[in-house]
Amino acid sequence: MMIQTSTKLNSKFSFNVSLARRNLLEDIPRFLVAQAGIMFAVSLVTIQTGLQKGFTLSASKLIDQSRADIWVTAKNQVHLGLTTPLNLQQKKDAESVSGVRRAEGLIIQGAIWRTRGNSLSSVTLVGFDPNGTLFIPGTLQQGQLDTLTIPYTVFADLGSLPTLSLRKLGDGGLVGSLPAKLVGVTEGSQSLVLGNLLFTSLETATAYSQSPVTTKLPCEYAVEGLDCQAESGDYPLKPQPLTNENNINFILIESQPNQDLSDLRRRLESVLPNTRAYTREEMSQLTQSYWEKRSGIGYILGLGAVVGVVVGVVIVGQILYSSVSDHLKEFGTLKAMGASDWVLYRVILEQALWMGGLGYIPGMVLCAITASWTTATQGILILITPASAVTVLGITLLMCFTSAVFAIQKVTRVDPAIVFKE
Amino acid sequence: MTTCKALESNTSSMIHRDHSHINLDHQPGLQLSQPAVKVENVHLDVQSGQQYLSILRGINWIIQPGNIQLLMGPSGSGKTCLLTILAGLLSPTRGKVYLLGQDITLMNRTQLAQFRLHHIGFIFQDFNLFPALTAAENIAIALQNKGVRGQLAQCEIQSLLERVGLEQQGHLKPRHLSGGQKQRVAIARALAGSPQLIMADEPTAALDSRSGHLVMELLRKLAKENGATVLMVTHDPRILDLADEVAHLEDGLLKAG
Repeated sequence: MMIQTSTKLNSKFSFNVSLARRNLLEDIPRFLVAQAGIMFAVSLVTIQTGLQKGFTLSASKLIDQSRADIWVTAKNQVHLGLTTPLNLQQKKDAESVSGVRRAEGLIIQGAIWRTRGNSLSSVTLVGFDPNGTLFIPGTLQQGQLDTLTIPYTVFADLGSLPTLSLRKLGDGGLVGSLPAKLVGVTEGSQSLVLGNLLFTSLETATAYSQSPVTTKLPCEYAVEGLDCQAESGDYPLKPQPLTNENNINFILIESQPNQDLSDLRRRLESVLPNTRAYTREEMSQLTQSYWEKRSGIGYILGLGAVVGVVVGVVIVGQILYSSVSDHLKEFGTLKAMGASDWVLYRVILEQALWMGGLGYIPGMVLCAITASWTTATQGILILITPASAVTVLGITLLMCFTSAVFAIQKVTRVDPAIVFKE
Repeated sequence: MTTCKALESNTSSMIHRDHSHINLDHQPGLQLSQPAVKVENVHLDVQSGQQYLSILRGINWIIQPGNIQLLMGPSGSGKTCLLTILAGLLSPTRGKVYLLGQDITLMNRTQLAQFRLHHIGFIFQDFNLFPALTAAENIAIALQNKGVRGQLAQCEIQSLLERVGLEQQGHLKPRHLSGGQKQRVAIARALAGSPQLIMADEPTAALDSRSGHLVMELLRKLAKENGATVLMVTHDPRILDLADEVAHLEDGLLKAG
């Protein structure tokens, strides 16, 4: 045998050779371009799926955040923002149903917001009982909920403030032709489908919903902001007290302890004609399902995610295929030397794995930054959970391995005789 | 500190541990009773448009073990085709090829790959080194394929680099080596794992006269040390003096030198 018997092991060489890794890193600019492509594909899939998940989750956020066991709606309710009204008498009737501990009314209704600069935005009014316990308007950042008992006061979500031209508590605008003053800020309640939310009391929400939008401003602008004195406008100093005939959209029910919710739902539906009673989970599912499957928006976002995967497969496939084409003679040499097909497949698969992994990490970091920025500045939720991150990793690896199949087919067809020249 | 000496006693059995499945006795230095290469009435016909061309027309040839055998002939005489057939990379139209006593024309693709892996070392005209790997790693990958890894591989690589005079260049990639140095790395790679057959295709064609001769002298010396048989296709008359035997191929027929 030819080993020099006195030779000490030389530690300056690494003999665990990864041809895949070396081939990848041989041409750094090309490698970076390839990684940018994979990063783009990973980002596309993550953002699209994150938007889809965030969109459906935000659609039902008001429901999920509530403490109601049961939501009573009109029979023909389509989703949270599309239903025919109930009235306060029905809320009182619900309170008398056996097994009901508490019932609260909820108004969800579209309105027009006019800023100080007289520009218009659409808002969704959410009227609820500020002294109640069943509706939660997100996480309070500033203000106290009971201040909403003051006429024409509102809370807004942090993400909506720029759109509504609100900067601090005390700022205001108009809803219809009535004034609205910001007295509190919440966070995490913003919904993509409901738009900018304004939380207020049932009385104020009712007044706003009956207030026409006029071209004439009933308020004066003062240095401190809007000056809406009763004398300067033709609106009541405070909203009319609610009567049994006033409209609400939903009745939130808290059940007595240990109630069978199915039985309670049946009792509520029999006492309140033309209504449906859903558990909170059912109501949430109903709303999410509408936006996912029936609205077209969910389909478009889902399609975007699929396009992301297809684009990713094409990009990675093209990169791997061209890499294999560039190293065809080397693969031929390996084959001629007697390497089995599996050795060659392993090189390609390892290359795919490295590309996938190294594209995934920066892609995910980019997505996390984008999602965080989008939620903070636009109020649009791009949901990236550990589970979705793992799923995207799986998709990325699958994408890379699928792409590797094309490269493997090319390598399989390499004739090792190409190593000899005539 | 671990030394290569400590590994020496186990080397032979470890390097050749995968050989049993093809039923060949090929311990290094073993004097085979049969020829290293035996070719019987090999024909190769290829279709070119509407015509069939006879590239090889009944080749009969025996190469004795340990010989340095040159195969010469004009361009288009079929030298490389014959080498490709002998390497098990191309099937003859008819005829038999025995390498180390085994009829390779009866082997399937997988068996042929295994045979090449363990019994044949290749040297190519354009070196065919892996550009992304260093000189040492180019040798390592050949050993890896044969299942030789770790310290044993490290010792063999170091030894081979020393034997081809490149112990200081092991960390360099092919683009940093001269043509002669590249071919020396290719020789080291071909000798990795001590195959009994070395097949070389125009190994001096890309080298200048002096480098070509030096490389061939080295190949002859190392092959003799290993007891390997070398079959070399060449146009280069300057290396005739290094051959034990020379055969000429003309018009698909073999003529003794």
